[in-house]
Amino acid sequence: MSVPNTMRVGPFTPTVLVKKRYLIFYFFLIWISIIPVLLEFWVYWRFLWNYERPIHFYTFLPLLIFGMYISIVFFSILFAKILLIIINAIHKPREGVFLRIPEDKDYRYWSLRNTIKRWPIWLAHKFPFPFLDNICFKAFGVKTKFSNSLFEGWVDTEFIEFGKDVVVGQGAIIQSAVIIGNLLIIRKTMIEDDVRIGSHAIVMPGTHIENKCILAANSVTTIGQVLEKEYIYVGIPAKKFKKNFFFEDGLENKIGHVEDIEKLREKYEEIYTKRYDQLTRKDRREKKREKKEEEKKRFDKGVEEWDDFDDDFNI
Amino acid sequence: MSREDKETTALEYEENNEEVLKEELSLQFHLYILIFAIIYYVSWLVPGFVFWLYFMGPFRIFFLENLDFFSIFTNINSLLTLLSMPIILISCYLLHLLLIGLTTRIIWKITEKISPSKSGVIPRNIRSRTANYYHIRSFMIKYGKNTFTKGMFPWLSNWFFNTVGSNKIGKGTTIEESVGNDKFIDIGKNCYIGVNATLASHLLQGIFGNITYFEIKAGDNVTTAAMNQVGPGSELNDNSFLLPLASTSKHSIAKGGYYFGIPFRKIFRKKILNYLDLSPKDLERNENIEGYKDKKLIKELKKKNLLQNDVDYVHRENAVIEEQKEVQIDINNLSDEELAIDFATSSAVSRINIKFLIVYLPLLWVAGLVTTIIWYWYSENELSSMHFRLEFFLFFPLILFGLIYIFIVACLLFSKLLLLLVNLIHKPKEGVFKAEKRNKDYEFWMIRTELKKLGLWFMRNSPLPWTDVVALKLFGVDMDSSSHLPDAWCDPEFVKFGRKNLIGQGALIMSSMVVGRYLLIKKIFFDDYVMVGGHTTISPGTIIGKESVIGAVSSTTYNQVLEPGWVYFGFPAIKLKENKYAEEKRDVIIKRDVDGEKKFTTIHEVNIDEDKKKLIKTQKEKV
Repeated sequence: MSVPNTMRVGPFTPTVLVKKRYLIFYFFLIWISIIPVLLEFWVYWRFLWNYERPIHFYTFLPLLIFGMYISIVFFSILFAKILLIIINAIHKPREGVFLRIPEDKDYRYWSLRNTIKRWPIWLAHKFPFPFLDNICFKAFGVKTKFSNSLFEGWVDTEFIEFGKDVVVGQGAIIQSAVIIGNLLIIRKTMIEDDVRIGSHAIVMPGTHIENKCILAANSVTTIGQVLEKEYIYVGIPAKKFKKNFFFEDGLENKIGHVEDIEKLREKYEEIYTKRYDQLTRKDRREKKREKKEEEKKRFDKGVEEWDDFDDDFNI
Repeated sequence: MSREDKETTALEYEENNEEVLKEELSLQFHLYILIFAIIYYVSWLVPGFVFWLYFMGPFRIFFLENLDFFSIFTNINSLLTLLSMPIILISCYLLHLLLIGLTTRIIWKITEKISPSKSGVIPRNIRSRTANYYHIRSFMIKYGKNTFTKGMFPWLSNWFFNTVGSNKIGKGTTIEESVGNDKFIDIGKNCYIGVNATLASHLLQGIFGNITYFEIKAGDNVTTAAMNQVGPGSELNDNSFLLPLASTSKHSIAKGGYYFGIPFRKIFRKKILNYLDLSPKDLERNENIEGYKDKKLIKELKKKNLLQNDVDYVHRENAVIEEQKEVQIDINNLSDEELAIDFATSSAVSRINIKFLIVYLPLLWVAGLVTTIIWYWYSENELSSMHFRLEFFLFFPLILFGLIYIFIVACLLFSKLLLLLVNLIHKPKEGVFKAEKRNKDYEFWMIRTELKKLGLWFMRNSPLPWTDVVALKLFGVDMDSSSHLPDAWCDPEFVKFGRKNLIGQGALIMSSMVVGRYLLIKKIFFDDYVMVGGHTTISPGTIIGKESVIGAVSSTTYNQVLEPGWVYFGFPAIKLKENKYAEEKRDVIIKRDVDGEKKFTTIHEVNIDEDKKKLIKTQKEKV
């Protein structure tokens, strides 16, 4: 609804710029998509401008600007698509684990594709309603339907497939590419029909979410995870929470809320925070040694217990 | 804090028996407006000059006055003016960005001279110069940050932060859009800060509490994948890799490696391979990255077919239609637990319907007409007679600002009119509705949402996004201008704010929620002095008591009631401790070593004016 003012949200193209010369494509796209619009303006000026009485000119000017805006978006999509086809013919986009160094070809081309897609997507998203965003998605190869609501989170613009009636929550992130360490991981993400993704949830690349699934707020899926159909998933990483009955009819008066929050919290804690890592013997030994060494080094006063929940964590 | 700690502090208060100061902050709005006006005026004056000179000079004479369509392309002058117009536009925009950077830098340096920004806790319940200048600087950086990161050239935002001097950002570092990351962070080279990952160097604790303001240090080659929240004073050393949503509170030290969870912990080999679906070979490549930079070596290896990393990922078919028995579910047999809403989803339904254009187009036209009339009045002499008048150029930034706001206000008023009509046809009400096309409540909820979206969208994207309070109030959110939600998602109906509420950055307040095939609408109440942390989800029906605080990255459940005077945290939020931030000792800092899983306390000076130091309790005095 009301989108935060410091963020753009919407379809997402990473700003990673491996080589500065990619910006030439960006400038070229801006330049070439403005020119047809200027010609439109010329036609309008010729018909309606009058030095003495420009009343008609100003009456229809808002409509002209509206039209000019829509056509600049379409022209930029057209030219960007042509460039993308050429670039994809040189190097085909593919899934895999790549290295985050300029020497890696896939990483370079991933960045180049994003740079090209940025201008049309930026323009389309500067428009208050998501009609143009959807066209961008379709043009750049994301399978989506007009019944989806995908525009208040960040959705990557390649290697993603959506079913119908998908709702992506506010601030959710649907990825098909993620940078972790020196690795760039690109995997195809698939989301089927009637999926609800909660606010601030993150769908990592390669996730397959089946029909009528709910991924609750503040959850993360792992790479390549499959969420079974008709289940509610919660947690970091997401785990099965309960069966999803909320697609049945006649529940209007039956949907209830939880009275005992503490108890619910305990239930959640099992899902959210129980993730003690299975250390190998070697790791454990190393850790013990390190701990001892540091204790010797540092004058510690009051080493307290490690709680899971920190006392004050408000931004 | 351990339990013993709490008890001792409680005892001390009884002995002292002093009233704790609880002053509301005073914000210097006159200074804010002055600073914004200077930045805005300077940054548009020169670009406006260049653009209008070009437009009225060569562009009009050679291009617009050209009578024949084909001679545009045959006449060399005409063609050149056409082709260079986009270049002029881009350079005007770049000039605008440059001037924003330089002006902000000058003003930033002046404020730094008066009251330098330094690490330390700034008390929020006592009025002080330090707090004032902290707020002024936070405001000042916002206009530049918004125009750079949301603008056409987000790659320049590193330059902006480095020029202004609010951040230190190393070479080759990419920072994606986010609510924070605008001041007091020090990032090394070749880092990647993902979408909405916030390195928050400031942290608010309670309306009458503290502003914890410490520099965040990130080393070289640090990556945060997405949505990571890192508290002030944290140190991410070289090669720390944060998986999505890995977050930590203040003063955490990460020594490098892979981190995951809230609060984040180090994960080891087995988990990394599991979570990221990698092969051991990939991890090895990650560690020996330097070797892969040698092109010659790679070429040779490739020849010998030693470098094949093509993996074919098998995708499950999208629609595997199996012969499944349709299991009939008897809804009367479902237990309460199965039907309880004990999780949160979202309310972000926005249907793309071309029919809405019928509403939007007249709305935009009428609002646009109001704007063009004013523009006509302003530019009458200039554009009709084409005389050069200096006033036209000098007042251009002002009229630009005015026109933007006239357009927005016109949009708001006309959509309010339409909204009144829609609400007359069908009154908005709370309850549980079927989210289907035939359901009247659902349909009208959608129409209301779409109508409100336009005005709110424009307000939030205007040069002064803080004015969105006006739009929210107009659309039926019960609030006054003392509380604000600068960077939050907020449903524009069925929400009631109290006095001085502060909603954190990236938080979500939803009075409606779509669960499966149902739409729940329930009013949210905030009492006075409530604070909601960043990236927190507030579900419908939540009631929050006076002076309560909800921590960052938490959520409430449907119909949850939070008692007054407590700090809540977690999923779902439960009581953590009493809200005693105003009484706390501000110089005790608990640092946390994430890898070693231990804490240690240190003393750091409180950041407040010298003459007000006696008003606050510190550890030092006792020692």
